[in-house]
Parts: sequence; C-alpha cells; structure tokens
Amino acid sequence: MFKYILKRILIFIPTLLVISLLTFLLSVSVPGDPVEQMLSSASENGGKNVLASEQAYIDKRKNLGLDLPVFYFSLSNKATPKNLHEIPKKLHRENLEVFINKYGNWNEINSYYQSVKQLEIAVSHIDKDSSNADALIAVKDNLYKLYINHDDATLTSAKKNIQKNIQIASLQSINAPFQNTVAAYTAMKTKATIWKNSIPSIHWYGSQNQYHQWITKFFKGDFGISYQDQRPVKTVIWDALRWTLMLSLISMFITYLISIPLGVYSGAHKGSRFDKTTTTILFLLYSLPSFWVATLLIMFLGGGDFLGWFPAYGVGTDAIDDSMNIFQVAGVRMYYLFLPLVCFIYPSLAFISRQMRGAMINTLSQDYIRTARAKGLDEKTVLWKHAIKNSLLPIITLFASIFPLAISGAVTLEIIFSIPGMGKTVVEAIFSRNYPIVYTVVMFSAILTLVGNLVADILYALVDPRISFSKK
Amino acid sequence: MSTPIENNEKEQAYWSYVKRQFKKNKRALFSFYIVCFLAFIALFADVLANEKPLYCSYKGNTYFPVFRDYGVMMGFAKWPPDLRNIDWLNAKFDAVVRAPIPYSPTTLDPFNSGFVSPFGKQDVASTRWRHWLGTENIGRDILASLIHGTRIALTVGLVSMSIATIIGILLGALAGFFGDNRIKISRASVIMLLIGLFFAYFYGFSARSFTMSEAFSVSLLKGFLQFSLSILIFSAVLGGSYLLGFILKIIPFLKIKVAIPLDIIVQRLTEIFLSIPRLFLILAIVAIAKPGIFLVMAVIGFTSWTGISSFIRAELLKVRNLEFIEAAEALGYSRWRILFKHAIPNALSPVLIAVAFGIASAILVESFLSFIGLGIPAEVLTWGKLLALSRGGKSQLWVAIFPGLAIFLTVTVFNLIGEGLTDALDPRQKK
Repeated sequence: MFKYILKRILIFIPTLLVISLLTFLLSVSVPGDPVEQMLSSASENGGKNVLASEQAYIDKRKNLGLDLPVFYFSLSNKATPKNLHEIPKKLHRENLEVFINKYGNWNEINSYYQSVKQLEIAVSHIDKDSSNADALIAVKDNLYKLYINHDDATLTSAKKNIQKNIQIASLQSINAPFQNTVAAYTAMKTKATIWKNSIPSIHWYGSQNQYHQWITKFFKGDFGISYQDQRPVKTVIWDALRWTLMLSLISMFITYLISIPLGVYSGAHKGSRFDKTTTTILFLLYSLPSFWVATLLIMFLGGGDFLGWFPAYGVGTDAIDDSMNIFQVAGVRMYYLFLPLVCFIYPSLAFISRQMRGAMINTLSQDYIRTARAKGLDEKTVLWKHAIKNSLLPIITLFASIFPLAISGAVTLEIIFSIPGMGKTVVEAIFSRNYPIVYTVVMFSAILTLVGNLVADILYALVDPRISFSKK
Repeated sequence: MSTPIENNEKEQAYWSYVKRQFKKNKRALFSFYIVCFLAFIALFADVLANEKPLYCSYKGNTYFPVFRDYGVMMGFAKWPPDLRNIDWLNAKFDAVVRAPIPYSPTTLDPFNSGFVSPFGKQDVASTRWRHWLGTENIGRDILASLIHGTRIALTVGLVSMSIATIIGILLGALAGFFGDNRIKISRASVIMLLIGLFFAYFYGFSARSFTMSEAFSVSLLKGFLQFSLSILIFSAVLGGSYLLGFILKIIPFLKIKVAIPLDIIVQRLTEIFLSIPRLFLILAIVAIAKPGIFLVMAVIGFTSWTGISSFIRAELLKVRNLEFIEAAEALGYSRWRILFKHAIPNALSPVLIAVAFGIASAILVESFLSFIGLGIPAEVLTWGKLLALSRGGKSQLWVAIFPGLAIFLTVTVFNLIGEGLTDALDPRQKK
C-alpha cells in the first residue's frame, strides 16, 4: 500500500511539470504586454522624457522578472540572435522578429533599430514651441510607426511624412539622425541574408530564465504578486478561496444530506411511483443549465420586477458593520448567499442521488443481500446496514473528485452572482492577463485533482477489502 | 473462426438488437425524434425564418431570393441591381411568398424595438408580421434568432464531438490495443525519429510561423491551407528521417528493439487534460485568440476527448484478448489492419454513449461562453447570447425563458439519448 502511494506520488511530478509547461506556454503566447499594462495603470504618463520612461519600463520589466529569457533553451534559426530577449519592449521585439524573418541579417536590423532610437532621443531634445508643435506631433506619430511596422509601404510613407515635417518646421537637429535611419533601412533591405532563416539553431540559456524562476519560487511557496493591484498572489487567492470553499462545503453538506437517503430509498423501491417521480424530476434538474436557473432566479426572486425577496448579487459586505455579532453576520451572509447556494446544490443533488440510486440497485441484486434476507433480517437492517456500505463506494470516488471541482466548477455562478470567489478571480485574471494568478490557480487545481484521485483510490481500498494495490 | 460474411451478419444482428432495445425506451426514442426535429430546423433555418422572400416577383422579374442567397454566398450568383439595396420588408413586390417567420436574426424592426412582449400589443401590420416570441432591445425577432441559433448549437455539438471522437478513438485504441510493450521499434528508429522531430518542427512550424500568421490574418481559408502545408512538411521530414533509420540499423547496437510504452504515454496525457479544469483551459484559449465559431468548436473538441479515449481503451483491453483477434493474428493479418478493421469496430458501441453526453455538454459550454460574451463573434446571435440579453436591468421574461428553454430542451434530449444508449448497450439487460 505504502509502496503504491509512493509510486503514485512519483508519477505526479512529470504530470505536474507538463501542466506547468502548458500553462506557461499558453501565457507566453498571449498577445499584449503586461509591463505596459502595469505602467499605464500605475502612473500617469511620464511621456515627456523618453529616456526616463524607457528606464521606468526597463525597471518594471526587471522587477517582474520578464527581462530573462523565457525558457532554458530556445529553438530558433541562425538569423535570430541569442540575446533578442534583451530588447525591452515586447512590441518592438515582435516587430524585430518579423524583420529577421524577412531579411535575416541581424547586424543591419539592429543598427536600424538603434538608429530609430537615436532619432527618438534627438526628437525628444527639441524644445516645443508654437512654430513646431504640429510638426513635432506628426514626427512622433510616424516615429512610433517605425517601431511597430514592418511592411515596406507603411514605413516608406512614415519616413516621407517625417521628411516633410522636418522641412516644414526646419527641425535641423534631427535631420542627421533621420538620414542615418534611412540609410540603415536601405542597408537592411539590400544586405538581406534570408538563407540564415532556414538553418536551425538552439540557444542555451541555463537556469536564468522565466520558467525556472517561476517554478522554483512556486515550490518554495512564493507565488509572486498580482499584476493588477500589486498584492501578493497568496492573499488574493486566499481571499477568493474562502468564498468558494465556504460555498462548496455548505452545498456539499446539504447535497449529501438529501441525496443519499433519497437515492437509497428510491433505489430500494425501484419502480415505485415515488422512484419514478423523483427520477424524472432529478433528471430534469440535472439537465437544467445552472446559468439559466440563476438568471431566472435573480429575475423572479432577486430584486427584479417580481418578488424582491433576495439580493440579486454580491455577498453582502456592505450590509455588515462592526457592531454585528457573528450570528447576525452569518444571517446577512446566508441571506445573500441563498440563491447562489440553491444553484450550487441542485445539479450535484441530482447527480449524486442518481449515482446513489444506481449503486443501490446494483447492490441489492447481489447474492449476499439475498442471503441476508433469507436469514430473516428485516428490510431496514438489510438496507441501511448491509446494502448501503457497498453502494457508498462510487459516492466516495465522487467525493474526492468534488474537491478540485470546488475550485473551478463555480465559474458560472460566481460570475452571475458576482461572488468574489476563485472562479470569478481566475476569469478576471485571464481577461486582464494577470498570469501569476492564472498559473497558481491552475497548478493548485491540478495538484488537488491528482491528490483527489489518489485519495479516492486509497479510500476505495479501505472500504472494499477486495481491492488491493500490492498485486499491481 | 467465422468468415467475413458471418461476421457481418453477426454485426448486423448486434446493431439491430441495440436498435430494438433503444426503441423499447420510450423517453429515449421520443428524444431522438426531437433531435431529428431540431436538425430539421437547423438545416432549413434559412427557409423558416428569413426577411428575404422565398419567391417574389419584382418589376416584372421572378426571383427566389432565399436560394439565390446561397448562390451569392458560394460566389456563383450575383444580386441583380434591382435587389441589391432593397428593403426586403417594405418593398412593393408584385407577388411574394415569404418565409413562415418573415424576419432574419439580423433584421431590425424599428417599430418594435426595446423588448416588445410576445403577449402584449405589437406595432405590426397584421398577425402575419407578429413577433411570436417578442423582440429584444434593438428590435430583433426572438423566434428568428432562436431558429438560427439551433443551427449554431447543433453544429457546435456535432463538430466538436467529431473532433473529440477522432482524437479519443485514436489515442484510446493505441493505448488499449498496443499497451506498453506490443509496439517495438529499433533504437535506430527511435534516435532518428527524435532527431527528425526536431527538424520537422523547425521546417514545418518554427520557420514558417511568420508565413502562417500572415496567412491567417488574411483569411481563415488561406491560413488553413498554410497550416496544412506545414503539417505536410512536418510529416514528410519525420517520415524521411524514419526511413533514414533503416540505414542505421546496420550497426548491431542500434538494431535492438525497444518497446514504446504507448499506454503510459496516453494515460499521462489523459491525466494532464483531466487535471487542468476544462473550463479554465477553454476560457484561457478563447480569451487570447480571435473570436470565431470554429475556434470554439475546436477548443471544445480538443478538451473533451478524454472520456471517449478511456472508454475505447478499456474496451480494447478486453477485445484484444478475444478469440477472433487471436485468429486474425494467426492468419497473419497486419496488426494495424486488425486494429482498424476488427478491434475498433467491435469497441465502438460505448463511444456512442460518450458522444451523446458529450454533445449535450458541448452545447452547454458553447452557450455558457456566449452567455458571458466570449468566443462567438459579435454579429452571430446564439442562444447563450440571447439569454445574456435578458440580464440588463429590467427583467425581460421572454428573453430569458425562450432561449433558456431551447438550451434546456436540447441538452436534455441528448442526455436522454445517452441514457437510452447506456441501457440498450448494457449486456446485463439482455434477456
């Protein structure tokens, strides 16, 4: 048994690693720049000083650990330099990658990029006055285009535009850097070495990479900080988990309390009118989409036009003040959580009762039940003492699988009722590219699922002595 | 050992037995009829609800606008100048036969905008123009949207489950039939395959990523063509390096055969997919990619094969030890032929169950995604989106009830069919 558990835990490790790689890969391929997002949300624009704002960007990037290469190695081609990740801005980097793909000559591409940068610095040194304000804005706009575009037509028209504005406002100080840029662009185009693109090469970066940093910190218990509000991921998740756990524990308790007797009874009286009615009702409940039920419940009972018995959403935090004692707080919470709880409970109620009924029917057809009846035991003892033990087996497996579900299964309802639980937090994190939270939650639910399955198997063996792992 | 003909007869007998059992189940049979009905609606949605007339005579010419629409879509017909900018609803036709519901899901009825109730007074010319299930906020007909939504829901269910079934059957069959040690290849081939994988990935995908993304941004079709080309290059390079492995076999050390633990690989893959919450995975992919109905189908399909594959695996573990497989092996049939012609067909029946339940859950996931406004492009109106429309402020009962009912009905009938199949295929019920 111990050996079996050890073996299973050893198998966890590669599975978890692959899952971590998958989530990581997914988030790396997400469009958008988290650094830019954080800077624009954190501070008002410091756009006046190009050098300072660039430095702020670099600092932030370093702070988030995004200045490191993505992975231990990179599979690319001969044209791509090893240190491409050192180009700070993601947009620029992506544009440079396209240039590499088009022309394949990194030296020329880089000098073109540097010349555009020099031009930007030169532009930022010009003092703005009434005579050149419009021209400066136009130059800056087109300069921005140079950074992020790669097709010839757009670049040519942008350069023409800059040239025109230099002449109009006689911006002599940037003429030289601009001519440099034009020359560098021509050089890049004429000295193309596209063949370098078709020779594969592998760059090795070692352990100084984003993935390694993240995964080692993760196993040390440091989950990073949320991009959105700079709080530690740990607290964000803990705050959310409290709600989800509370909801799922309460609903699980009520579900089992109702569904086990219901399943046992209708299984024992298979074919009776009670059985037929409950089976039909439960089946219909099982197929009812919970987001529809939630919408209707809010409409009818939650402050809509019909009966305003319950609040439509939220968890009642505003309705609670410090003077309340714990029972009053619980009362308010229950008042707010009643509708969500109903929506949480009814699908699993239907599911577990059906499982319980099936298992009961299965068990009651076994020989040992017939023996028990032949012994003259009364029906109640047969049912609640002999049959229920074996029919609980599948329910135990379910119990273990419900835990990980508790983390993710509530997405729908948490969004509709706007409960600040895990589901809502993760979905918001996915939308706002708040990777640290997404990573952590996915990893945790994976761990919980794996552990849940293991626990189910072990419980299975404990309840049913016929199952043994040592032979496997 | 049975001859192929006998085998065939037996198979037919089995399926007709399953059919009989299924027909005995009244609920499942009834659900099957409802599915047929829904499929009918989906197929003929354009004829059932359309602002364009089925037939019309306009300025002396006769047209069949609904059908011409198909021609225009395929690119071999054009709208005549008369009809190009016509207001289909108010034009003066000489003679006209309209669809039963004279509205398209995109038709805006300015006189009945802002959630007109199906029960109250409506500002329409006659009962012919009535919005039987009301309208939503900008005056689109709910019934027309529901009819066209059927098409999307069923397509999502079917396509995504087809993807899932293909992946599931393939992986499950490999794992179940070959197990951990029934496929053996030489060390030379393993080495060459690994090296080949690197080059195949590089020339197939890495070096072509720019070309591919460029093509995808032009059009889906072009992107798909480029993607297929990439797969072709990938397989060609991989196959080529596998063939090169034969030369390496002259070295004795490399000639030794090693077993490929297919079962372990597939089992771990299944575990990985089961450990990541499916909805999160779908949400994450849908949130980063461009919205599109095919994307939603593909994502649902690629994340729901695990059930099917474990069904097939379990079934093949049983089947592969049956006599007829041994007989086929004794006859010297190749193992791939045995797998695809004998083993898989005999293991398919439980897959049907998984597919029926899978369609139900795919439709549910799609409606949830559109309910929270993800994945499906803005111009496509689905059941989930209609349902979401009811959530803004004032309660619009009909906007919530009818699409919800449609989802509920469809999900229920597929679940009932799944139940019916479970019972029909259960050998314990044989009498």
